[in-house]
Amino acid sequence: MNSIAGIAMRGVAAAVPTKVARTSEYDILSPEERQRLQKATGISAHRMSPPNQCTSDLCQAATEHLLEHLGWTRDSIGALILLTQTPDQPIPATSIVLQDKLGLPTTCIAFDINLGCSAYPYGLATVASLMLTLKIPRALMLMGDISRVCAYEDRSAWPLFGDAGSATALEFDPAAPQIHFDLMSDGSGRNAIIIPGGGLASRLPPGDGSSRTVTGDDGIPREPGNLLLRGADIFSFAITKVPSSIERTLASAGKIPAEVDFLVLHQANKMINDTIAKKTRFGADVSLSTLADYGNTSSASIPLTLCAHAPQFDRNRLIAACGFGVGLSWGTVLLTIPANSVLPVIESDHVY
Amino acid sequence: MDIEDFIEKFAFAIEVEPAELDAATDFKKLENWDSLNTLSIIAMADADYSVALSGDDIHKSRTIGDLMTIVQERKG
Repeated sequence: MNSIAGIAMRGVAAAVPTKVARTSEYDILSPEERQRLQKATGISAHRMSPPNQCTSDLCQAATEHLLEHLGWTRDSIGALILLTQTPDQPIPATSIVLQDKLGLPTTCIAFDINLGCSAYPYGLATVASLMLTLKIPRALMLMGDISRVCAYEDRSAWPLFGDAGSATALEFDPAAPQIHFDLMSDGSGRNAIIIPGGGLASRLPPGDGSSRTVTGDDGIPREPGNLLLRGADIFSFAITKVPSSIERTLASAGKIPAEVDFLVLHQANKMINDTIAKKTRFGADVSLSTLADYGNTSSASIPLTLCAHAPQFDRNRLIAACGFGVGLSWGTVLLTIPANSVLPVIESDHVY
Repeated sequence: MDIEDFIEKFAFAIEVEPAELDAATDFKKLENWDSLNTLSIIAMADADYSVALSGDDIHKSRTIGDLMTIVQERKG
Protein backbone atom coordinates (compact mmCIF):
# COMPACT_ATOMS: atom_id res chain seq x y z
CA MET A 1 0.00 0.00 0.00
CA ASN A 2 1.18 3.52 -0.81
CA SER A 3 4.40 2.26 -2.30
CA ILE A 4 5.86 1.52 -5.70
CA ALA A 5 8.56 -1.02 -6.53
CA GLY A 6 10.54 -1.37 -9.74
CA ILE A 7 11.41 2.23 -10.58
CA ALA A 8 14.85 3.65 -9.80
CA MET A 9 15.97 7.24 -9.62
CA ARG A 10 19.05 7.61 -11.86
CA GLY A 11 19.88 11.29 -11.66
CA VAL A 12 18.77 14.80 -10.76
CA ALA A 13 19.97 18.16 -12.11
CA ALA A 14 18.96 21.75 -11.43
CA ALA A 15 19.56 25.07 -13.19
CA VAL A 16 19.23 28.64 -11.91
CA PRO A 17 19.72 32.00 -13.64
CA THR A 18 22.81 34.04 -12.75
CA LYS A 19 21.15 37.24 -11.49
CA VAL A 20 21.04 37.43 -7.68
CA ALA A 21 18.41 39.55 -5.89
CA ARG A 22 19.39 40.17 -2.28
CA THR A 23 16.88 40.67 0.52
CA SER A 24 19.22 43.32 1.94
CA GLU A 25 18.73 45.40 -1.24
CA TYR A 26 14.91 45.11 -1.51
CA ASP A 27 13.98 48.79 -1.37
CA ILE A 28 10.25 48.28 -0.77
CA LEU A 29 11.21 47.52 2.85
CA SER A 30 13.13 49.66 5.34
CA PRO A 31 16.62 48.39 6.26
CA GLU A 32 15.25 47.17 9.63
CA GLU A 33 12.38 45.35 7.92
CA ARG A 34 14.78 43.68 5.49
CA GLN A 35 16.83 42.35 8.38
CA ARG A 36 13.76 41.09 10.15
CA LEU A 37 12.40 39.40 7.02
CA GLN A 38 15.75 37.75 6.43
CA LYS A 39 15.92 36.45 10.00
CA ALA A 40 12.36 35.07 10.06
CA THR A 41 12.30 33.50 6.58
CA GLY A 42 15.97 32.53 6.33
CA ILE A 43 15.98 33.99 2.81
CA SER A 44 19.00 36.19 2.05
CA ALA A 45 18.82 36.02 -1.75
CA HIS A 46 16.99 34.51 -4.70
CA ARG A 47 17.79 34.10 -8.38
CA MET A 48 15.98 36.03 -11.11
CA SER A 49 15.63 35.02 -14.74
CA PRO A 50 16.20 37.48 -17.56
CA PRO A 51 12.83 38.86 -18.79
CA ASN A 52 12.61 36.49 -21.78
CA GLN A 53 13.68 33.31 -19.97
CA CYS A 54 10.83 30.92 -19.18
CA THR A 55 10.24 27.75 -17.16
CA SER A 56 11.01 25.62 -20.24
CA ASP A 57 14.44 27.24 -20.63
CA LEU A 58 15.62 26.45 -17.10
CA CYS A 59 14.17 22.93 -17.31
CA GLN A 60 15.83 22.38 -20.68
CA ALA A 61 19.23 23.51 -19.36
CA ALA A 62 18.89 21.05 -16.45
CA THR A 63 17.74 18.25 -18.78
CA GLU A 64 20.58 18.70 -21.30
CA HIS A 65 23.04 18.58 -18.41
CA LEU A 66 21.44 15.45 -16.95
CA LEU A 67 21.24 13.57 -20.28
CA GLU A 68 24.89 14.28 -20.95
CA HIS A 69 25.81 12.94 -17.49
CA LEU A 70 23.73 9.78 -17.94
CA GLY A 71 24.71 9.19 -21.55
CA TRP A 72 21.07 8.42 -22.39
CA THR A 73 20.12 8.66 -26.05
CA ARG A 74 17.12 10.89 -26.79
CA ASP A 75 15.36 7.98 -28.49
CA SER A 76 15.37 5.98 -25.28
CA ILE A 77 13.07 8.39 -23.42
CA GLY A 78 9.43 7.35 -23.30
CA ALA A 79 7.89 10.09 -21.14
CA LEU A 80 8.49 13.74 -20.31
CA ILE A 81 6.28 15.13 -17.55
CA LEU A 82 6.57 18.76 -16.39
CA LEU A 83 5.16 19.94 -13.07
CA THR A 84 4.85 23.73 -12.92
CA GLN A 85 2.68 26.65 -11.82
CA THR A 86 4.16 28.91 -14.46
CA PRO A 87 3.98 27.27 -17.90
CA ASP A 88 5.35 29.24 -20.88
CA GLN A 89 1.80 29.79 -22.17
CA PRO A 90 -1.73 28.64 -21.15
CA ILE A 91 -1.85 26.16 -24.05
CA PRO A 92 -0.27 23.99 -25.36
CA ALA A 93 1.41 22.22 -22.46
CA THR A 94 5.03 23.31 -22.08
CA SER A 95 6.20 19.67 -21.84
CA ILE A 96 5.05 19.07 -25.42
CA VAL A 97 7.06 22.06 -26.62
CA LEU A 98 10.03 20.61 -24.73
CA GLN A 99 9.62 17.23 -26.44
CA ASP A 100 10.41 19.02 -29.69
CA LYS A 101 13.11 21.37 -28.36
CA LEU A 102 14.93 18.52 -26.61
CA GLY A 103 14.78 16.37 -29.76
CA LEU A 104 12.84 13.57 -28.05
CA PRO A 105 10.99 11.05 -30.24
CA THR A 106 7.30 11.57 -31.08
CA THR A 107 6.62 8.29 -29.27
CA CYS A 108 7.43 10.17 -26.04
CA ILE A 109 4.41 10.80 -23.79
CA ALA A 110 4.34 14.48 -22.74
CA PHE A 111 1.98 16.46 -20.53
CA ASP A 112 2.03 19.08 -17.76
CA ILE A 113 0.80 18.74 -14.21
CA ASN A 114 -0.48 21.85 -12.46
CA LEU A 115 1.23 21.53 -9.07
CA GLY A 116 3.82 23.64 -7.28
CA CYS A 117 5.17 23.15 -3.78
CA SER A 118 4.00 19.52 -3.60
CA ALA A 119 5.41 18.62 -7.04
CA TYR A 120 8.17 16.21 -6.02
CA PRO A 121 6.17 13.51 -4.22
CA TYR A 122 3.24 13.90 -6.64
CA GLY A 123 5.48 13.81 -9.69
CA LEU A 124 7.33 10.71 -8.57
CA ALA A 125 4.08 8.87 -7.79
CA THR A 126 2.55 9.81 -11.15
CA VAL A 127 5.56 9.18 -13.37
CA ALA A 128 6.57 5.94 -11.65
CA SER A 129 2.99 4.62 -11.89
CA LEU A 130 2.82 5.54 -15.56
CA MET A 131 6.13 3.83 -16.28
CA LEU A 132 5.07 0.61 -14.58
CA THR A 133 1.62 0.49 -16.16
CA LEU A 134 2.61 1.42 -19.70
CA LYS A 135 6.01 -0.30 -19.50
CA ILE A 136 8.06 2.79 -20.19
CA PRO A 137 11.76 2.01 -19.54
CA ARG A 138 12.98 5.60 -19.12
CA ALA A 139 11.27 8.88 -18.19
CA LEU A 140 12.14 12.47 -17.36
CA MET A 141 10.33 14.39 -14.67
CA LEU A 142 10.83 18.16 -14.93
CA MET A 143 9.95 20.83 -12.38
CA GLY A 144 10.43 24.53 -12.62
CA ASP A 145 8.89 27.90 -11.88
CA ILE A 146 9.49 31.55 -12.67
CA SER A 147 8.65 34.15 -10.02
CA ARG A 148 7.77 37.05 -12.35
CA VAL A 149 4.13 36.43 -11.37
CA CYS A 150 4.87 38.30 -8.12
CA ALA A 151 4.50 42.09 -8.16
CA TYR A 152 7.76 43.83 -7.17
CA GLU A 153 5.83 45.99 -4.69
CA ASP A 154 4.41 42.88 -2.98
CA ARG A 155 6.50 42.58 0.15
CA SER A 156 4.54 39.48 1.18
CA ALA A 157 5.67 37.54 -1.91
CA TRP A 158 8.36 39.13 -4.11
CA PRO A 159 11.33 38.75 -1.74
CA LEU A 160 10.46 35.11 -1.03
CA PHE A 161 10.30 33.52 -4.49
CA GLY A 162 13.16 32.62 -6.81
CA ASP A 163 13.54 31.00 -10.24
CA ALA A 164 14.82 27.49 -10.96
CA GLY A 165 14.32 24.49 -13.23
CA SER A 166 15.13 20.84 -12.64
CA ALA A 167 15.17 17.40 -14.24
CA THR A 168 14.95 13.98 -12.58
CA ALA A 169 15.69 10.78 -14.53
CA LEU A 170 13.76 7.60 -13.72
CA GLU A 171 14.37 4.11 -15.07
CA PHE A 172 12.58 0.78 -14.87
CA ASP A 173 14.61 -1.55 -12.66
CA PRO A 174 13.13 -4.65 -11.00
CA ALA A 175 15.83 -4.44 -8.30
CA ALA A 176 15.02 -0.84 -7.31
CA PRO A 177 14.15 -0.23 -3.64
CA GLN A 178 10.50 0.52 -2.78
CA ILE A 179 9.37 4.13 -2.95
CA HIS A 180 6.83 5.07 -0.26
CA PHE A 181 4.27 7.86 -0.61
CA ASP A 182 1.70 9.88 1.26
CA LEU A 183 -0.31 12.31 -0.91
CA MET A 184 -2.97 14.76 0.29
CA SER A 185 -5.25 17.57 -1.03
CA ASP A 186 -7.49 20.20 0.57
CA GLY A 187 -9.08 22.61 -1.89
CA SER A 188 -10.85 24.49 0.89
CA GLY A 189 -7.52 26.33 1.22
CA ARG A 190 -7.41 27.33 -2.46
CA ASN A 191 -7.23 31.05 -1.70
CA ALA A 192 -4.07 30.75 0.40
CA ILE A 193 -1.86 30.94 -2.70
CA ILE A 194 -3.62 31.98 -5.88
CA ILE A 195 -3.15 33.75 -9.19
CA PRO A 196 -6.77 34.83 -9.72
CA GLY A 197 -6.39 36.13 -13.28
CA GLY A 198 -5.62 34.49 -16.60
CA GLY A 199 -8.18 31.69 -16.50
CA LEU A 200 -11.79 31.71 -17.62
CA ALA A 201 -13.12 32.29 -14.09
CA SER A 202 -11.53 35.74 -14.09
CA ARG A 203 -13.44 36.63 -17.31
CA LEU A 204 -10.29 38.15 -18.70
CA PRO A 205 -8.64 36.99 -21.88
CA PRO A 206 -5.68 34.87 -20.79
CA GLY A 207 -2.30 36.51 -20.99
CA ASP A 208 -2.40 39.76 -22.85
CA GLY A 209 -5.90 40.95 -21.92
CA SER A 210 -6.56 44.26 -20.24
CA SER A 211 -5.39 44.18 -16.66
CA ARG A 212 -6.36 46.40 -13.80
CA THR A 213 -4.59 46.90 -10.52
CA VAL A 214 -6.59 46.19 -7.38
CA THR A 215 -5.43 47.06 -3.87
CA GLY A 216 -5.98 44.16 -1.46
CA ASP A 217 -7.02 44.40 2.20
CA ASP A 218 -3.31 44.17 2.99
CA GLY A 219 -2.81 47.49 1.18
CA ILE A 220 -0.74 45.92 -1.61
CA PRO A 221 -1.66 46.70 -5.23
CA ARG A 222 -1.70 43.68 -7.55
CA GLU A 223 -2.83 42.89 -11.07
CA PRO A 224 -5.11 39.85 -11.52
CA GLY A 225 -2.19 37.94 -13.04
CA ASN A 226 -0.05 38.47 -9.94
CA LEU A 227 0.37 35.81 -7.31
CA LEU A 228 -1.32 36.41 -3.97
CA LEU A 229 0.17 34.66 -0.94
CA ARG A 230 -1.66 34.56 2.39
CA GLY A 231 1.38 33.71 4.44
CA ALA A 232 -0.33 33.27 7.80
CA ASP A 233 -2.75 30.67 6.42
CA ILE A 234 0.01 28.72 4.69
CA PHE A 235 2.06 28.87 7.85
CA SER A 236 -0.79 27.53 9.98
CA PHE A 237 -1.51 24.76 7.46
CA ALA A 238 2.14 23.77 7.13
CA ILE A 239 2.95 23.41 10.81
CA THR A 240 -0.30 21.62 11.72
CA LYS A 241 -0.98 19.31 8.73
CA VAL A 242 2.39 18.50 7.20
CA PRO A 243 4.25 16.69 10.03
CA SER A 244 1.71 13.85 10.12
CA SER A 245 2.26 13.20 6.39
CA ILE A 246 5.95 12.60 7.06
CA GLU A 247 5.07 10.37 10.02
CA ARG A 248 2.59 8.31 7.98
CA THR A 249 5.16 7.76 5.23
CA LEU A 250 7.82 6.60 7.67
CA ALA A 251 5.33 4.36 9.47
CA SER A 252 4.21 2.69 6.24
CA ALA A 253 7.85 1.97 5.40
CA GLY A 254 8.62 0.79 8.93
CA LYS A 255 11.31 3.44 9.38
CA ILE A 256 12.21 5.86 12.15
CA PRO A 257 13.78 9.30 11.55
CA ALA A 258 17.23 8.05 12.66
CA GLU A 259 17.22 5.58 9.74
CA VAL A 260 16.65 8.36 7.19
CA ASP A 261 19.75 10.17 5.95
CA PHE A 262 18.14 13.49 5.01
CA LEU A 263 14.85 15.32 5.39
CA VAL A 264 14.30 17.46 2.30
CA LEU A 265 11.41 19.86 2.83
CA HIS A 266 9.89 22.20 0.28
CA GLN A 267 11.79 25.43 0.93
CA ALA A 268 9.02 27.67 2.23
CA ASN A 269 10.54 29.62 5.08
CA LYS A 270 12.82 28.92 8.00
CA MET A 271 10.16 29.15 10.71
CA ILE A 272 7.96 26.60 8.92
CA ASN A 273 10.77 24.20 8.09
CA ASP A 274 12.35 24.32 11.55
CA THR A 275 8.96 23.64 13.12
CA ILE A 276 8.23 20.65 10.85
CA ALA A 277 11.70 19.14 11.42
CA LYS A 278 11.32 19.54 15.17
CA LYS A 279 7.83 18.02 15.27
CA THR A 280 8.90 15.01 13.21
CA ARG A 281 12.04 14.54 15.34
CA PHE A 282 14.57 15.15 12.61
CA GLY A 283 17.75 16.91 13.74
CA ALA A 284 18.47 20.32 12.24
CA ASP A 285 21.68 18.87 10.76
CA VAL A 286 19.84 16.35 8.54
CA SER A 287 17.22 18.85 7.30
CA LEU A 288 18.73 20.22 4.07
CA SER A 289 18.10 23.86 3.23
CA THR A 290 18.74 26.26 0.37
CA LEU A 291 16.51 29.07 1.61
CA ALA A 292 19.43 31.40 2.22
CA ASP A 293 20.69 31.39 -1.39
CA TYR A 294 17.67 30.52 -3.52
CA GLY A 295 14.51 31.37 -1.49
CA ASN A 296 11.31 29.52 -2.35
CA THR A 297 11.57 28.08 -5.88
CA SER A 298 8.10 26.48 -5.84
CA SER A 299 8.03 23.16 -7.75
CA ALA A 300 11.83 23.08 -8.13
CA SER A 301 12.69 23.54 -4.46
CA ILE A 302 13.26 19.88 -3.52
CA PRO A 303 15.42 18.88 -6.54
CA LEU A 304 17.32 22.20 -6.29
CA THR A 305 18.01 21.53 -2.61
CA LEU A 306 19.30 18.04 -3.46
CA CYS A 307 21.62 19.46 -6.14
CA ALA A 308 22.90 22.23 -3.86
CA HIS A 309 24.07 19.45 -1.50
CA ALA A 310 25.49 17.21 -4.25
CA PRO A 311 28.74 16.34 -2.39
CA GLN A 312 26.68 14.73 0.39
CA PHE A 313 25.20 12.27 -2.11
CA ASP A 314 28.46 10.42 -2.77
CA ARG A 315 26.88 7.21 -1.39
CA ASN A 316 23.38 5.71 -1.42
CA ARG A 317 21.07 7.92 0.61
CA LEU A 318 17.56 7.40 1.92
CA ILE A 319 15.65 10.68 1.91
CA ALA A 320 12.24 11.80 3.10
CA ALA A 321 11.15 14.57 0.72
CA CYS A 322 8.04 16.53 1.66
CA GLY A 323 6.31 19.19 -0.44
CA PHE A 324 3.43 21.37 0.80
CA GLY A 325 1.62 24.51 -0.29
CA VAL A 326 -0.42 25.79 -3.22
CA GLY A 327 -3.69 23.88 -3.64
CA LEU A 328 -3.62 23.14 -0.81
CA SER A 329 -1.66 20.08 -1.81
CA TRP A 330 0.95 18.19 0.18
CA GLY A 331 2.77 14.91 0.27
CA THR A 332 5.85 12.96 1.26
CA VAL A 333 8.05 10.48 -0.57
CA LEU A 334 10.60 8.15 0.99
CA LEU A 335 13.14 7.46 -1.71
CA THR A 336 16.60 5.92 -2.10
CA ILE A 337 18.96 8.09 -4.12
CA PRO A 338 21.83 6.07 -5.60
CA ALA A 339 25.41 7.25 -5.07
CA ASN A 340 26.70 10.02 -7.34
CA SER A 341 23.39 10.64 -9.09
CA VAL A 342 22.84 14.17 -7.76
CA LEU A 343 24.56 16.76 -9.97
CA PRO A 344 25.70 20.15 -8.64
CA VAL A 345 23.50 23.16 -9.50
CA ILE A 346 24.34 24.78 -12.85
CA GLU A 347 23.74 28.39 -13.93
CA SER A 348 22.00 29.28 -17.17
CA ASP A 349 20.51 32.44 -18.63
CA HIS A 350 20.02 30.69 -21.95
CA VAL A 351 16.79 31.08 -23.89
CA TYR A 352 16.28 28.12 -26.21
CA MET B 1 -4.99 28.43 30.97
CA ASP B 2 -4.94 31.88 32.55
CA ILE B 3 -4.41 35.27 30.99
CA GLU B 4 -1.08 35.90 32.71
CA ASP B 5 0.36 32.72 31.29
CA PHE B 6 -1.03 33.54 27.83
CA ILE B 7 0.39 37.07 27.93
CA GLU B 8 3.79 35.74 28.90
CA LYS B 9 3.83 33.39 25.92
CA PHE B 10 2.45 36.10 23.63
CA ALA B 11 5.16 38.52 24.75
CA PHE B 12 7.90 35.93 24.28
CA ALA B 13 6.63 35.16 20.75
CA ILE B 14 6.75 38.76 19.58
CA GLU B 15 9.85 39.64 21.61
CA VAL B 16 8.47 42.30 23.99
CA GLU B 17 8.38 42.47 27.79
CA PRO B 18 5.24 40.89 29.36
CA ALA B 19 4.90 43.99 31.57
CA GLU B 20 4.11 46.04 28.46
CA LEU B 21 1.01 43.92 27.73
CA ASP B 22 -2.35 43.14 29.31
CA ALA B 23 -5.63 41.51 28.21
CA ALA B 24 -6.88 44.80 26.78
CA THR B 25 -3.77 45.50 24.69
CA ASP B 26 -4.70 46.31 21.11
CA PHE B 27 -1.80 44.18 19.89
CA LYS B 28 -1.82 45.18 16.22
CA LYS B 29 -1.20 48.78 17.33
CA LEU B 30 2.02 47.83 19.15
CA GLU B 31 5.02 49.67 17.79
CA ASN B 32 6.89 46.57 16.71
CA TRP B 33 3.87 44.63 15.38
CA ASP B 34 4.16 43.43 11.77
CA SER B 35 2.88 40.59 9.63
CA LEU B 36 5.78 38.33 10.66
CA ASN B 37 4.50 38.54 14.25
CA THR B 38 1.32 36.88 12.97
CA LEU B 39 3.42 33.82 12.15
CA SER B 40 5.06 33.90 15.58
CA ILE B 41 1.66 33.94 17.29
CA ILE B 42 0.39 31.03 15.15
CA ALA B 43 3.55 29.09 16.05
CA MET B 44 3.06 29.88 19.75
CA ALA B 45 -0.60 28.72 19.75
CA ASP B 46 0.45 25.50 18.03
CA ALA B 47 3.45 24.75 20.23
CA ASP B 48 2.06 25.81 23.62
CA TYR B 49 -1.66 25.05 23.25
CA SER B 50 -1.89 22.64 20.27
CA VAL B 51 -4.36 25.03 18.67
CA ALA B 52 -4.32 25.93 14.95
CA LEU B 53 -4.98 29.65 14.43
CA SER B 54 -5.66 31.05 10.96
CA GLY B 55 -4.57 34.40 9.59
CA ASP B 56 -8.22 35.43 9.83
CA ASP B 57 -8.39 34.58 13.57
CA ILE B 58 -5.62 37.08 14.18
CA HIS B 59 -7.03 39.59 11.71
CA LYS B 60 -10.40 39.71 13.48
CA SER B 61 -9.00 39.77 17.05
CA ARG B 62 -8.36 43.23 18.45
CA THR B 63 -7.00 42.55 21.91
CA ILE B 64 -4.83 39.84 23.43
CA GLY B 65 -7.92 38.82 25.44
CA ASP B 66 -9.89 38.31 22.19
CA LEU B 67 -7.20 36.01 20.90
CA MET B 68 -7.02 34.05 24.15
CA THR B 69 -10.78 33.46 23.94
CA ILE B 70 -10.33 31.86 20.50
CA VAL B 71 -7.50 29.66 21.74
CA GLN B 72 -9.51 28.67 24.81
CA GLU B 73 -12.62 27.79 22.78
CA ARG B 74 -10.62 25.73 20.32
CA LYS B 75 -8.73 23.94 23.01
CA GLY B 76 -12.11 22.87 24.36
